[in-house]
Amino acid sequence: MSRQAAFQRMPSVPARRILIWRAGAIACALLVTAAILALSGYSPPDLALLVARSTVGSRFGMEDLALFMSPLLLTGAAVTVCNRIGLWNIGAEGQFYAGAIGAAAIGLFVPAPALVLLPLMAAAGIVAGMGWIAIPTLARAYAGVNEIITTLLLNFVASLLTYYLTTGPWRDHVTGAQVSSARLPVSIPEIWGIVHWGFPIGLLIVAVLAAVMAHTRWGYEIRVGGANPDAARYAGIPVRARIIVVMLLSGGLAGLAGMFELAGTVHRLQGGMANNFGYLGIVVAVLARGSCLDVIPAALLMAFILDAGIVLQTQQLTASVVLAITGLMLFMIAIADELAHYRPVARMKKETAP
Amino acid sequence: MIALLSGMFATALLAGGVLALAALGEVMAERTGVTNLGVEGLMALGAVVAIMTVANVPNPWAGLLAAFAVGALGGMVFALGAVIMRASQVLCGLAVTFMGLGLSTALGHSYAGQPSPVVFGHVHVPLLSSIPVIGPGLFGQNILIIPIYVVLPLLVHFVMFRTRHGLNMRAVGENPAAADAAGIPVMAMRFGYVTLGGAMAGMAGGYLTLTYVPVWSEGMVAGRGWIALALVIFAGYRPVMVTCAALLFGLVTTLAFVGQARNWPIDPAFLNMLPYLGTMACIIVPVLVWRRMRRVMAAPAALAQPYYRDVR
Repeated sequence: MSRQAAFQRMPSVPARRILIWRAGAIACALLVTAAILALSGYSPPDLALLVARSTVGSRFGMEDLALFMSPLLLTGAAVTVCNRIGLWNIGAEGQFYAGAIGAAAIGLFVPAPALVLLPLMAAAGIVAGMGWIAIPTLARAYAGVNEIITTLLLNFVASLLTYYLTTGPWRDHVTGAQVSSARLPVSIPEIWGIVHWGFPIGLLIVAVLAAVMAHTRWGYEIRVGGANPDAARYAGIPVRARIIVVMLLSGGLAGLAGMFELAGTVHRLQGGMANNFGYLGIVVAVLARGSCLDVIPAALLMAFILDAGIVLQTQQLTASVVLAITGLMLFMIAIADELAHYRPVARMKKETAP
Repeated sequence: MIALLSGMFATALLAGGVLALAALGEVMAERTGVTNLGVEGLMALGAVVAIMTVANVPNPWAGLLAAFAVGALGGMVFALGAVIMRASQVLCGLAVTFMGLGLSTALGHSYAGQPSPVVFGHVHVPLLSSIPVIGPGLFGQNILIIPIYVVLPLLVHFVMFRTRHGLNMRAVGENPAAADAAGIPVMAMRFGYVTLGGAMAGMAGGYLTLTYVPVWSEGMVAGRGWIALALVIFAGYRPVMVTCAALLFGLVTTLAFVGQARNWPIDPAFLNMLPYLGTMACIIVPVLVWRRMRRVMAAPAALAQPYYRDVR
């Protein structure tokens, strides 16, 4: 006789249970990080204090948090809407660049007052982001080609295109800044210190998306399509059409994030300006577990980690440490999500006794 | 003309070797039903560890071995999450990529920009290396070319399609429950081949810094891990096909060099986009042109699905 299973896997678990497991996972990841830092000669409590003081403990830190959150809200939402229909958009980074390029094309070459130019740039950013995801979308919808790899490969193309534009035709001739275009004539107005309107607009977009996903027929059809495509098709939901619209929406959101970052924070098209926001959007979406509203706290957590990374950089730690810590967190969360599905069951001694 | 062709072929072999190693390892992992999206990160780790090793032990074999070992370690970490714990393979893979890219940059910080002190030297097999066009590339370059393009793919092909072990391995990827019922250790098989696949991804990184681009810099892996993953799909999960596909992509990479050397009126940035765009074309176009392709090149049936013995 085989050994009686002491744990039983439940097909679905309450959100609270997953949250507890995830808190444990994040704590584990931070503990491992602290241990590694301690082994390399840093003092984790001092670093933690420093991070706390320069993020939530000061006005500048809070402004930085909001500034980091603005693109993360949108890239996180971009990955989340795709997740809802069961797809992974790993190409938010590329769509972010495409959006920035599209917006920069308008901003640099269309002479218009800011009131006209900014909405035009936003529209260009959205369209460019949608254009960037168009081929993976059609390939997925009509040929069933794995969207993970196609969206990802285009990230490298977008980054090369940005590099080409900022070192070639759009190169900055005035200040001679490296891998950078000229400064844009307009910028998104600031509302609070260095925080620009992109932040409240991002929050609003996420809230609207959450409402649409939760309370409209369209949102319901997308959730059904993600949970069980066959059942959705049987029920008459046009899954293919929904996939196309959702993926384009996802690309548009990431493109808008690129436009906000361009016109609100960086003010010029720069190589490397995406700053991994697209990839971190995946982490935000995973943390949010497919709920658009939960993108907000998830983006806050991610922004905090990014902000902490800047502090660590001043302590002779490279910024890449943040990517490694994020990876560790993601790994722990993936495991915690699975472990949360198990519950111990009492062994039935009478039945197994000979 | 002959000189140009043989030069291009030689560079294609050199450049494609990175993809061939990583993709061959991934073919084995995916045949047992596990997609490891961490290839990119493991490659970066292998690349930096190889440089760090040869900086202290000036022997390229030591560097390659270290890259293999660190890749195996990373593969085990991934397998611990995705196979043993049965967590989401997509998330674990992305996590391993993030960790690999972040750690490799942190580790390689003080090695960045320094050329590798030793690399794999050239060998010249007499007679064979003077075969026109293919001779200099196959028999007049570094010693790893023949193992990568001839020995390993044929060995994997033989094991996978001509032995009982290979049959068991494919059974695990097609129908793990049936394989389990037949007494095949599903978890051990998956864990083993995912580890081996990770090790080969690490070795691909080591190959990169010990032959092709003998210097560490951040972002030098530049999506080669993702291209390798796409080649596995393109080649229909077949070891010999995937090696040929890697060579084809080596050739595409070579075009950027040829274009720059011959002053083609295209910016090198666009030529550098070719491998990525070419990869996309390769996984999209065949399916569109020939509908049956989907069945011929089908993925293992249980790919990316965790196996639960206790849940039926």
